[in-house]
Amino acid sequence: MFMLSLLSLLMGGCSTEAPPEPAPTEAPAEQAHPETPELDVAQLEADSEEVALVPSPVETQKALEAAGIDTKLSDLIPKHKFDLDADSLDHAAVRTGVLLADVLLTVKSAKTPVLIKRIDAVQKGMDQLNGGKDIRLTLDDIKERLQADAVTRDDLLKEFDELSGVVIPELEFNGQERVVPLIEAGSWLEGANLVARAVKDSDNKKAAETLLKAPTVVDYFIEYVKTDGADKAPEAVTKKLEESLLELKAVASKTEPLDDADLEKVEQVTNAVLALL
Amino acid sequence: MLTTAFLASLLSSPPAIADEAEASSCLRTKVWDGYSDGWAIRTMTSTELTSGKTRSYLVSLYADNEYRIATCGDASVKNLDVLLYDTKGNIVMRDETTDREPFIEFKPPATGTYYVVLYLREPVEGADKAGAAMAVVYR
Repeated sequence: MFMLSLLSLLMGGCSTEAPPEPAPTEAPAEQAHPETPELDVAQLEADSEEVALVPSPVETQKALEAAGIDTKLSDLIPKHKFDLDADSLDHAAVRTGVLLADVLLTVKSAKTPVLIKRIDAVQKGMDQLNGGKDIRLTLDDIKERLQADAVTRDDLLKEFDELSGVVIPELEFNGQERVVPLIEAGSWLEGANLVARAVKDSDNKKAAETLLKAPTVVDYFIEYVKTDGADKAPEAVTKKLEESLLELKAVASKTEPLDDADLEKVEQVTNAVLALL
Repeated sequence: MLTTAFLASLLSSPPAIADEAEASSCLRTKVWDGYSDGWAIRTMTSTELTSGKTRSYLVSLYADNEYRIATCGDASVKNLDVLLYDTKGNIVMRDETTDREPFIEFKPPATGTYYVVLYLREPVEGADKAGAAMAVVYR
């Protein structure tokens, strides 16, 4: 303080020149935003996107193994007898989702002709849903490389992971917003059906808690399939899917541990949808 | 000379618009490299973020699976944050780095629903928007 006063006195008293311009000071750097953004639960609920919500069938297989059940879901896939010519939107979307799950679960183990047949069925569904030329060409290319034995199954799994988790969710399907959720619903439904059977056949019923209690996922599907207020009668598949999802929601929301009856219920209501495809 | 200076100034300036493609390309490389360590992708998406703002994603995560929430920001990002919230609004995990490619790893003790939050905490000087990509991978 003394030094500053002395300095002022000296500068003011000894110079007749105009006082020097104050040295330019650097503008303070813009502060980064606070470490933690201001968010509350209501805002998170309202603003969150659901693009990353639904687990993949292969992820479900991993979770099954992590829960202590060694069953391969791929071994439980039945020989579906789907009506591949049914091209109404909901039917084609749910069916294609189921088939996509089957491809993902069997891509490393299925014999080439079986895998190609499944990919053909996915491709047909994508055409019916107006998935576009790019996805058709991509699937053609995959089939060609498979037939020529020019791709490893590990690489093929990566490619189908990308198709299922990145490419298909980005497709526009002629502006039909419900297509992607319905494809996801088909995949998830197939997974739930297989998981219910795997857990039922095991000595580890606790695994059902890990694998089947996903009310948020079921809610997401219900949001897209609900037919209340629809201006026309829903497709049979849509109606059955909605009924099944409501039953699955009841199971997934139970606070007490799931039991054999719950597993039976999951298998039964998912079978009811699969039977209509 | 003018042209050279003009080009140099263009190259040294932050991009005027958020570049989601750049962020996605960066993340895609990371995701596919991760397959050699046993990681596999659930989904990948991209978005535009404004300085100080967030984008949130609802995710359901299985108990005992390992998850990595991987991200990449474009060249407009100085510090991108990624946080994981539970459904009560509590922060479960966050990255502690000051960069544009943060990630978090999480092994849920129970199957549940969470929110992944991307937060553009600090863009580079002169930018107020940025492109960012986020992927959920598991093993």
